[in-house]
Amino acid sequence: MDRPDTTNRKTTEDRGRRTGLRSPVSGHEEEIFGKAYDLQLIKRLWRFLVPYRKLFWLAMLVLPLQQLFALAQPYIMKVAIDSYIAGAQLWGLQGMVLLFLFALAGEVVTAYFHYYLTMLVAQRSLADLRVAIFTHVQKLPMSYFDRNPVGRLVTRMTTDVDVLQEMFAAGVMTLISDFLMVAWIVVIMFTLHVQLALVSLALTPFMLLAINFFRVKARRTYRLIRERIARINAYLGEAISGMAVIQLFVREQNSYREFDELNAAHREANQLSNIYEAGLYSMVEAVGTVSIGLLLWYGGGEVLHGIIGIGTLVAFKEYLHRFFVPLRDFSQKYTVMQSAMSAAERIVQLLDTPTAISSPAMAVVPKPFRGAVSFEDVWFSYQQNDPVLKGVSFKVAPGEKVAIVGATGSGKTTTIKLLSRFYDIQRGSIKVGGVDVREWDLQALRRHIGVVLQDVFLFSGDIRSNLCLGNGAVPEERVLEAVKYTNADRFVFRLAGGLDAQVRERGSNFSTGQRQLLSLARVLVFQPEILVLDEATSSVDTETESLIQDALEKVMKDRTCLVIAHRLSTIRNADRIIVLHHGEVREVGSHAELMQKQGIYYRLYQLQYAMEESKIAPATPQLKIEP
Amino acid sequence: MGGMGRLKSYLWRYWRRYFLGAVCLLGTVTVVMWIPWWIREAVRIIEQGGSPRDVTGYALTIVAAGVVQGIIRTLSRSLIFNAGRDIEYDLRNDLFAHLQKLPVSYYHSQRTGDLMSRVINDISAVRALLGPGILNLFNTPVYFFYAVILMLSMDLRLTLVALLPSPLLIWAVRQFRGKIMKSSLAVQRQMAELSSHIQENLSGMHVVKAYTQEDHQIRQFAKLNEEYQEKNMVLATLRGLIGPCMQGLNGLSVMAVLGYGGLRVIRGELLVADIVAFIAYLNVLAWPTAAFGWMLSLVERGRAAMERLEEIFKAEPEIANPAHPASSIESDVAVEFRHVWFAHDAKTNGHAVLKDISFTLPKGRTLAIVGRTGAGKSTLAQLLPRLYDATEGEILIGGREIRSLSLAELRRGIGYVPQDPFLFSNSLNRNLSFGRDGISEQEILAANHLTRLDRDVAIFPEGLATVVGERGITLSGGQKQRATLARALLTEAPMIVLDDCLSSVDAQTEDEILRGFRSVLKEKTCLIISHRISAVKDADEILVLDEGRIIERGTHAELVERGGLYAELHHHQQLSEELEQI
Ligand SMILES: Nc1ncnc2c1ncn2[C@@H]1O[C@H](COP(=O)(O)OP(=O)(O)OP(=O)(O)O)[C@@H](O)[C@H]1O
Ligand SMILES: Nc1ncnc2c1ncn2[C@@H]1O[C@H](COP(=O)(O)OP(=O)(O)OP(=O)(O)O)[C@@H](O)[C@H]1O
Ligand SMILES: [Mg+2]
Repeated sequence: MDRPDTTNRKTTEDRGRRTGLRSPVSGHEEEIFGKAYDLQLIKRLWRFLVPYRKLFWLAMLVLPLQQLFALAQPYIMKVAIDSYIAGAQLWGLQGMVLLFLFALAGEVVTAYFHYYLTMLVAQRSLADLRVAIFTHVQKLPMSYFDRNPVGRLVTRMTTDVDVLQEMFAAGVMTLISDFLMVAWIVVIMFTLHVQLALVSLALTPFMLLAINFFRVKARRTYRLIRERIARINAYLGEAISGMAVIQLFVREQNSYREFDELNAAHREANQLSNIYEAGLYSMVEAVGTVSIGLLLWYGGGEVLHGIIGIGTLVAFKEYLHRFFVPLRDFSQKYTVMQSAMSAAERIVQLLDTPTAISSPAMAVVPKPFRGAVSFEDVWFSYQQNDPVLKGVSFKVAPGEKVAIVGATGSGKTTTIKLLSRFYDIQRGSIKVGGVDVREWDLQALRRHIGVVLQDVFLFSGDIRSNLCLGNGAVPEERVLEAVKYTNADRFVFRLAGGLDAQVRERGSNFSTGQRQLLSLARVLVFQPEILVLDEATSSVDTETESLIQDALEKVMKDRTCLVIAHRLSTIRNADRIIVLHHGEVREVGSHAELMQKQGIYYRLYQLQYAMEESKIAPATPQLKIEP
Repeated sequence: MGGMGRLKSYLWRYWRRYFLGAVCLLGTVTVVMWIPWWIREAVRIIEQGGSPRDVTGYALTIVAAGVVQGIIRTLSRSLIFNAGRDIEYDLRNDLFAHLQKLPVSYYHSQRTGDLMSRVINDISAVRALLGPGILNLFNTPVYFFYAVILMLSMDLRLTLVALLPSPLLIWAVRQFRGKIMKSSLAVQRQMAELSSHIQENLSGMHVVKAYTQEDHQIRQFAKLNEEYQEKNMVLATLRGLIGPCMQGLNGLSVMAVLGYGGLRVIRGELLVADIVAFIAYLNVLAWPTAAFGWMLSLVERGRAAMERLEEIFKAEPEIANPAHPASSIESDVAVEFRHVWFAHDAKTNGHAVLKDISFTLPKGRTLAIVGRTGAGKSTLAQLLPRLYDATEGEILIGGREIRSLSLAELRRGIGYVPQDPFLFSNSLNRNLSFGRDGISEQEILAANHLTRLDRDVAIFPEGLATVVGERGITLSGGQKQRATLARALLTEAPMIVLDDCLSSVDAQTEDEILRGFRSVLKEKTCLIISHRISAVKDADEILVLDEGRIIERGTHAELVERGGLYAELHHHQQLSEELEQI
């Protein structure tokens, strides 16, 4: 974990690019097409508003009502002062005060109503958006998760969506009415007096230029902020899961330094954006004031020369004031919006990541299904030009027990990951039940194959929920049976709560072996047609293991079984053994056949046997398995 | 120290910036309050046909005021907001530093996603309190101050009437505070739930896919999300009320002035112009009052978040450096356990995982531990580098009780290979040289050769620069294990702990590694845990652990002879081998 992302993530992003993922937008292209690009983003997100469009439009309708109530107040005041106070009519004044109260109440109620509706629309549509992202992420291929840190994706679904929420809360929906107001005032000013209008608005083009400058600059910073907070989150997630390792190796200081670096980068981007925001806001305010100064200077002279009336000047002053108030609000909302758009970019980018592996349109679910498996000349590489499997072919008949053995890194795990279609192969074909896995309905395929992966994972919850997972309707006996077969009952029923005993994140309150037993029990609860065990008992003691072997034999009668193991004792029940070496099938046959052949398996076997047997270092022949 | 107390200490750190920001703010407000006056004067001169010179003078003053205002406003906002960012940064760093001190057991009781959410989202909420929150905290009183002064200078009684709704304002603030805080807390908690769920789902993606749990996971997520939305809506409802309420109160003041002032005008005590001016001042106050309401919700949210952070800060780093660390002494006995007991939840009388463990491991010797799954082997090993502290009894390293040694020194003296191979998502190179500074390329190559990782690296297109996935997911099981082994060897610690570290390695590679190891282990004190007899049979002493107790001890030959559990294990392994031979 020494140095953080700078190099590491870059490679990650580069890889992303190579595999056709859209890279984080950058460079000129986007700056030029900025507006059209934003419009596209908004269009994409609009889809999530559509179900709530009635509420949305209602909120929009309430807005003019609210403005009506707001605008009525000065008018009532004017009437009260001009007619009743000046006219000394107490009754009328009372009436006006009551009317004012009414308008005020109306404004308060409508304002609240507008906010409420806006938030309702925002909350609901963003909740939908979150589910949409989550759902999409569930469909992404494993290769995506190999590359993308968990923390980064968490950021997409939480913090980034919250930024969008801020956009609603800041009242971006009133942007349009702000804009209309400004446009109206400009029209009125020009109809009143062109010259004065020109002088008053002389600074506006410069302001617009400045706003545009801001847009480009600030957008870049906001993008940096999103990226950097994601990095912090990714780093954090990793540091928390690996805290024991950090502490064991006394790496706290290094790790702190790395975190500090990320944290400082995040702060730096934020402070830059603060300066931009403060500058923009202050500039709009300042331009407003300066414009009034210009107006008075030029207009004052005109009035004094008798060219225009004082009334026009006063009116212009008022309009100018009203012109800048929405602009000031606008500048604040604009900042929020720029920030939201950069979050939207990331979200849309995630939503656009192709779900490379999915069920075909005409998915097949073969019935009746018998658990035949065949690999035909399968070539596969995780990264281009680095084949891990090189023309692997083998067949497993229904009900057959086949073991895969081979040196570490030879591609055993990869083989079974391909069987469940975690990755798609580059050449050849893999058939399950006689049908190519790419033609299968993906979910059905995986439901037929029960895999115990080398990488044990338990969810936080209780033991029962971990064994049954999402299938609520598993009969109790089946669960008990599975627990018994795997010998997990030895510790499960000693825990307070038994099957309902708590499981902490990743099963951290169990020993490694116990975790393996639980994940093995899980697959037995599912009773799949094809059982695949990848080093499922590697951390379990020999005695327990052999008990499990016997139990498995009963359970898996008539079912197809693929077992990967390094301890050859684990595979003693196999009908056939496949020896994989450097991604190629080197030997296939029963134990006796392979022993006779005196090839790799024979040597492996001899070696292991010798190691168990002799007390002193075995004088085994120099073993070299040349590729 | 409560959450807010801690926050205050951070604020003090940056009081200069906040002070400067406040001064600038005061300047801004002053200018803002003057500008209407200048405008009015200018208009008056124009109206009365004064000299163009005077008009130009005022106009220029206004232009200058605009420019000055722009500059100091930028300054005040950047100063205050950036100070907020600085505190955010400090807080996040300090929280991370504190997290690093917390023992492993703390992490077992927490969910990763929840902790992440606190460090990211809760700190963000606190930051909102520190930036915009504080800005408005300064802003509103200053505006009030000016407005009240101006109003007082015109008429005392009218001012009092205008301030009549103020108690209502205080009452409203009281009403909202507690509720918003509570509601915010619920939202922040739910956010953490959500992020925990996502975090877990993503780290277990392979299981989710293998067991087609996608729909189930989505349903669970949707449920949490729904709750989040509801809680957010409750908060939004509350926050939404504040703004209009504040606005309404301001409106009430206007109304009071209109009614009472109107009455007095009719009585002939005031001029119409006075009321107009009065109302203009109240209008100036409208925005700061509304902002005050907004600030209120920010502050309450920040307080709620700070309380959540405080929960982490309050967690005691139970396993800490002693106040006066002793240094270990030269001793023939590397490790000694004296009647050690251990229970995971000692405080709640959890059942003992280790019971009365005593042994000595002389320097340069090898001790092996075998035993059934869940017997307590890993737990025993974890006591050595103090990942856990023994509940009872003493553990000595180099003749000193480990709790009296400096934690860093103790841990640096142990090369630990955990049972769960954890690598960081970084290059292989960096992962291997994780344990010590200044590890040379040569050393890495040597360690790679010893662990037979060199063959695998040779196949990787990017060699040692290969970036592995999180937790090392892009490596095979055996590669991961051997990488953690190499990482531990490279620390060059005098003691090495191997917890079942070759379980995913094939027999041939294992044999090669073990043979290569023999020379290395000769120089080191070694603790080996394994299920395979092959890995432990050469040890100087073997402990057989069962249900937390040492039930047998001795050398391989002695134990086989004795015919206990060890002999049974040995027999089992032999038997299965023999079975195959038939
Ligand atoms: N997700 C991945 N991305 C890139 N490369 C990978 C990935 N998973 C595995 N590999 C590489 O593919 C090769 C084969 O890995 P695999 O996990 O199939 O080995 P294995 O035979 O199961 O080994 P072991 O016995 O150690 O578990 C290894 O060199 C490994 O580094
Ligand atoms: N964090 C924890 N909280 C509560 N109990 C725990 C915790 N960690 C482990 N245990 C329990 O302590 C016992 C010993 O666990 P330990 O990991 O030491 O076993 P082990 O002998 O290493 O087993 P294995 O051979 O499976 O690795 C087990 O019963 C386990 O369930
Ligand atoms: Mg263990």
